[in-house]
Amino acid sequence: MATPPSSAPVAPITAVAPVAPVAPVAPVSPAAVKILIAGGFGVGKTTLVGSVSEVTPLRTEEYLTKASVGVDDLAGVDQKDTTTVALDFGRITVNPDLVLYLFGTPGQERFWFMWNDLVNGALGGIVIADTRRLDTSFASIDFFESRRIPFVVAINCFHGHNTRTPNEIRAALDLDPQVPMLLGDVRERAFGRDLLLALVDHLMDLAADAADAADAAVTAAVTAPVG
Amino acid sequence: MREVPPRNSVQHRNHVPHWSDLPDDEDGGDDAGTMVRPYTITRGRTAPERDDLTLITVLTTDGDEAARALARGSRAGTRGLQPEHRMILDRCRRPAAVAEVAAGLDLPVSVTKILLGDLVAQGLLRARAPLSVARASGGVDLGLLTAVREGLRRL
Repeated sequence: MATPPSSAPVAPITAVAPVAPVAPVAPVSPAAVKILIAGGFGVGKTTLVGSVSEVTPLRTEEYLTKASVGVDDLAGVDQKDTTTVALDFGRITVNPDLVLYLFGTPGQERFWFMWNDLVNGALGGIVIADTRRLDTSFASIDFFESRRIPFVVAINCFHGHNTRTPNEIRAALDLDPQVPMLLGDVRERAFGRDLLLALVDHLMDLAADAADAADAAVTAAVTAPVG
Repeated sequence: MREVPPRNSVQHRNHVPHWSDLPDDEDGGDDAGTMVRPYTITRGRTAPERDDLTLITVLTTDGDEAARALARGSRAGTRGLQPEHRMILDRCRRPAAVAEVAAGLDLPVSVTKILLGDLVAQGLLRARAPLSVARASGGVDLGLLTAVREGLRRL
């Protein structure tokens, strides 16, 4: 859409003098991408968002409507239930034309399945795990795997609490060997940055693999014996 | 420039949704209770007219159009702007994502989207869709990833 040149007639603008002035040339909107931060309740999702975000983490809410499910359903009753779910997020201005949003997913992962807007279009995810209760991150890993969202794993190590080796943790989480896993303190900005970089590198590897696979498919098609 | 206190930040403990300031009128005895009231801001609409607004759709106030609309002010009658509309136009002088606008207004995302849809439809707000992350066709665009990587290294 063309931005009106600043030399456009100014008469209509001067006629609205009581209004606070608007920037003469409307700023161009940057494009946006997002990364999801997941993990069990209280594992440090908002802390990680805050450690790398250029603004104090913001909170917003959404109404999610779900058809109630479970064993306590009354047969034949199509009961709907609405829940309010809170979401913490932050932002990183990558460059003047690109903003990265970091969304801490709600602690109860059953909500994610109802919230397509949260999940759709995510570049990837970071799953935070606590070695004292690794099982709280299982659902997050399951979710990203089922939705085919690439992710990296952050092992949040508070001082002296990590008594397991990385291999033991990998085994406990049943991680695919390709999935990067980093150990550190999510309160530290440098660790947050390294996690994001690890995710981007992982995405680049996956893109390269996909390109290779496409090439191989083309080669196979070209060289396939006739008959 | 003065930093506005993060009213909607996580630290903001006394979280009082501003729609509770609305007069407690005929909705008072409704079973649905608080579920109804946010939608009074949208005049009862519960779904946006456009479904292409996402959490990270970036909105920018269209300077000239918005200035004229604001100038018409309350004289515009039923087609006029509500306070929330004005707050949005003010906020989006600097581009902001749907989630940021919702947080700033202290309104649920779905309610915010309805208000944003009004403004986009009236040409007062420009919406930019998120970059597509085309995973089905084999991985994310390398140019995009390279740009993100460069930005992150400066953190």
